[in-house]
Amino acid sequence: MVKFSISKGRYTYTHDQKYPCENVDIHHIILKSCRANYVFVYTLAVLLLASALYLCILGGKSISIVYYSMLFDIFLVKLLLPKPVKKESVVIMPAFGVQLETHYMSGKIIRCFVPIDKILKPVLVECVTPVTCYWTLSLMIRGESEMVLVFKNLRPPVKMLVHVWKALCAATDIKEEALNTCTTYN
Amino acid sequence: MTGLAGKSMDRKKHRIMMVSDFFYPNFGGVENHIYYLSQCLLKLGHKVVVVTHAYGNRSGVRYMTRGLKVYYVPWRPFVMQNSFPTLFPSLPIIRTILIRERITIVHGHQAFSTLCHEALMHSRTMGYRVVFTDHSLYGFSDAGSIHMNKVLQFTLADVSQAICVSHTSKENTVLRSGLPPEKVFVIPNAVDTAMFKPAVVQPSRSEIVIVVISRLVYRKGADLLVEVIPDVCRLHPNVRFIVGGDGPKRVRLEEMREKHSLQDRVEMLGAVPHAQVRSVLISGHIFLNSSLTEAFCIAILEAASCGLLTVSTRVGGVPEFWNAVLQGLIWIHFFAI
Repeated sequence: MVKFSISKGRYTYTHDQKYPCENVDIHHIILKSCRANYVFVYTLAVLLLASALYLCILGGKSISIVYYSMLFDIFLVKLLLPKPVKKESVVIMPAFGVQLETHYMSGKIIRCFVPIDKILKPVLVECVTPVTCYWTLSLMIRGESEMVLVFKNLRPPVKMLVHVWKALCAATDIKEEALNTCTTYN
Repeated sequence: MTGLAGKSMDRKKHRIMMVSDFFYPNFGGVENHIYYLSQCLLKLGHKVVVVTHAYGNRSGVRYMTRGLKVYYVPWRPFVMQNSFPTLFPSLPIIRTILIRERITIVHGHQAFSTLCHEALMHSRTMGYRVVFTDHSLYGFSDAGSIHMNKVLQFTLADVSQAICVSHTSKENTVLRSGLPPEKVFVIPNAVDTAMFKPAVVQPSRSEIVIVVISRLVYRKGADLLVEVIPDVCRLHPNVRFIVGGDGPKRVRLEEMREKHSLQDRVEMLGAVPHAQVRSVLISGHIFLNSSLTEAFCIAILEAASCGLLTVSTRVGGVPEFWNAVLQGLIWIHFFAI
């Protein structure tokens, strides 16, 4: 059951409650695939190969130019078309932890589980690179110096990250309150 | 009065981007100027963002006092803390910051900063209002100055306004950049007199302590110090020197100390954090500035504010505010008595 959804550019955010009877919150960030990228890269690769074949057959160059162009094409495709990600999900189970999922176009799913008591705080962080600046949502983990990125491959807009961040804060605050209550009674 | 107060309250609030290669944790006059100017603007209700290059591990976004946001863009310094001149590759990050922070005015600092020039050029291309502040005097004849002046003429061709810290600096900037003089304003630097106050108890007059606090580089006359200190110590046995600061010429001063056996007469403090500058100044009677060139020399003002007598080379913009410094010193000593 989709509770809430927003779309901006290539990204769509949906807040799902697949198991309403259980306290499980699911947030998806879905990426619209860009066919133009594929068309451009494959066209470029074909043109390069065709040029190499032309030079070899009609230009009298050595066959090695065709092999080098094929290698270069493979390198170009690997560089410009990385493993396509279909969507990334965050499954929040306040009693247990947070599961981070990456769904690929091929159907492969990579999952990473973070126990709730290991999460110190979810934070929205600004990342600066030499060419751009963007927001990310990260989890501060107890006892670790490195933070865990919630969305490892996608860069959704901050408006979508805020909803996920609020849900994570609510889940971690519930756990903290429970811990504090136990400490008080003991 | 109420009408005037109302008018000032309604004055538009700006979102200002200060851009320079020189900012904290690097320490110096330009860095302090940017920081204190930003704090004053934040107090007036404007929003200020500083853009500089990364310093070592300090990269990304940091927040300073009053919410001053600093972007440490992960570019390595190329030479003398300057970023590598890239021209167009810097456009994406500058544009991203200008748009996401909704900047209204871009303020570049220091003619020797490549990041400043590139940001000014890209900002003007995008139609932003641009202000440039020049903090130093530069030459006309050496190869580095000739190239930099050419770059300055290009980037300042379309600047909205320019600021110089003294009339000498204005003359220098106008001649180098070809800016019309009416576009250049002179706004001298100032010190926070709450931070730089004279000592409650004056140091003893049994020996005269001369304080030198500057970067120990050629431009700041460190070689002059090496020549002058032994002669002064020989002529006046009751004089002692305190030298604060660090730099490539420190080795020469250490050698001079060893050569003339002045270890008990010349104290080398090394780099002095800005928070401790006042405590070093008030331990002396005279402040010595031996710079070969100075657009303004805020160190003299800081020393005068602490009640020290100041001795300086007569260069650049120093004579312009000398009378004001002397008058201020007379008042400080009058109230101290």
